[in-house]
Amino acid sequence: MDDDSTNPFRRMSSRTRKVAPKMVAALASSDNRTQAALARLEALENDNAGVEVVENIDDEDASLDDDDQAYIKRQSKGTKRKTRQAKALEAKKAPKTFMELLHEANLESLPPHVPSYLKAAVGPPSSTSRRHFCTVCGFAASYTCIRCGIRFCSSRCQNIHNDTRCLKFVA
Amino acid sequence: MSNVVVLDNGGGLLKAGAGGDLDPSVIIPNCLYRPLSAKKWLHPSPISISTTATAATEPSSDLDLTSASVRRPIDRGYLINPDLQRDIWSHLFTSLLHVNPSNSSLLLTEPLFTLPSIQRATDELVFEDFNFASLYVSDSPSLVHFYEASRRPTSLLSRAQCSLVVDCGFSFTHAAPVFQNFTLNYAVKRIDLGGKALTNYLKELVSYRALNVMDETFIMDDVKERLCFVSLNVPRDLQIARKSGKENFFRCTYVLPDGVSYTRGFVKNPDDAKRYLSLSDEKVSSPSLGVKKDVIELDVSEKTEDKKRIDLTKNEFDLTNERFLVPEMIFHPADLGMNQAGLAECIVRAVNSCHPHLHPVLYESIVLTGGSTLFHNFAERLEKELRPLVPDECQVKITTQEDPILGSWRGGSLLASSPSFEAMCVTKAEYEELGSARCRKRFLH
Ligand SMILES: [Zn+2]
Ligand SMILES: [Zn+2]
Repeated sequence: MDDDSTNPFRRMSSRTRKVAPKMVAALASSDNRTQAALARLEALENDNAGVEVVENIDDEDASLDDDDQAYIKRQSKGTKRKTRQAKALEAKKAPKTFMELLHEANLESLPPHVPSYLKAAVGPPSSTSRRHFCTVCGFAASYTCIRCGIRFCSSRCQNIHNDTRCLKFVA
Repeated sequence: MSNVVVLDNGGGLLKAGAGGDLDPSVIIPNCLYRPLSAKKWLHPSPISISTTATAATEPSSDLDLTSASVRRPIDRGYLINPDLQRDIWSHLFTSLLHVNPSNSSLLLTEPLFTLPSIQRATDELVFEDFNFASLYVSDSPSLVHFYEASRRPTSLLSRAQCSLVVDCGFSFTHAAPVFQNFTLNYAVKRIDLGGKALTNYLKELVSYRALNVMDETFIMDDVKERLCFVSLNVPRDLQIARKSGKENFFRCTYVLPDGVSYTRGFVKNPDDAKRYLSLSDEKVSSPSLGVKKDVIELDVSEKTEDKKRIDLTKNEFDLTNERFLVPEMIFHPADLGMNQAGLAECIVRAVNSCHPHLHPVLYESIVLTGGSTLFHNFAERLEKELRPLVPDECQVKITTQEDPILGSWRGGSLLASSPSFEAMCVTKAEYEELGSARCRKRFLH
């Protein structure tokens, strides 16, 4: 039986499927748990989780009143403007995600003493003792899914997990 | 002297107004949305922050935002779509603030560690698209510190010119040491979780347990702001959350908009929703609690049957443990499958990256800002977790800003009205002569 109606992650937008390079590397790895963890953060940052973003952004200018544009300098002849417009047309398809911009910035190549986005990440917790909450009902969970590493508390929640969530993030 | 537009360009809310004013004149979601009833992407209407202690923000329009889609110029805290940001700013400057950029200066907040390519795109927007006369770029922690130092001139924070600003906003959370009005960026630590992730987590939980709300960004924001709180004792509260009837201090019901008689959702029995406030810390002492966590879940299969008896036709759902498990993510991301340290440890790591002379002052001058610090008990819980991690000889003192959503804007407004402000700005002529990268150096020390 297909569970389209119960699984909100089934219909992910085309935009969120376009994953950043780091994600690509992670997704290429055979480690399902690493994949699940990265996909988890992607899902939590997604704007329109259940919405199909099919029609792209052709209609975006339609929302603007003409007088809103008043202060935007329109220099159709200026060369600088032209190159920007040409660039903009190229980029119009879809803006890059932050993860793509981050990859392009190549912060890894900075000398070690220079503060950067990457070095500011807090990093993993020092304590290894974690409390585990069931991802289905939220109560304390003592079982781990052998396929994806996500926690659940009972056979009832395990069934829901298997039917709706297990590995769907990476499917 | 020219006018200064102060713009705190958040990933969730955009706060804007005139430098020198007490409060911003416009607060508006930094996005376009498209309700089901609309064919076009629309500008959200400005909202008013309620002056009560709750986080709830009140939109001034009655538009039904059920299943509205949303487009944001900001991803993970950073500007990724300058075209969309231009649309939103254009609407802001022209139709809401009624300012003429070409005879105004702009004080703009920008997140820490903004990539050079994004700074360039921002400068192009400011100088080439909008023609601002001059620009000053600042970051939220230094503005928050500046505001607090002037508001409390006799405090240690003000005398030592040093504080630890914890900014838990829409996109992420930063622990940022500030010294002499500059953020010590080599010591800043970031957790990749903020209000947006919390709302999405709440969507997931409710969608599993009751009904599918994955499309309901705006409604679930409202649910989160009205009903979520920080637990001071998670094992105890998990126990209470599974009880039935009056024993359960957390159960409450949220009613979704029906599009006919009401266009906004609401809490069904607001008094029930407040019952958790009557729980005191003394109830912690019951002997079986908190000792063996793994015993708790044994009989869950019968109890959760209750939860399934939700009438889908009524378009309402119950919340119990979701109310505190959602903000719990900030304190222990690892519990929820994310390999990041929680807030207390984040603060300790930021402090330890500073000179040891500063440690006692930093721990004694912690300032909480950002909308996600508005959950009830946030500061209490943080202190509880932080105290055991801090050396005994240091005091821990945590202050929540009077209005954590407006803190950076107010700092910016104050700075914009200071006599030295104009000299700190980069003018359009300088930008044209030197370019983005060299102008940006001006904003560092
Ligand atoms: Zn469960
Ligand atoms: Zn699984």
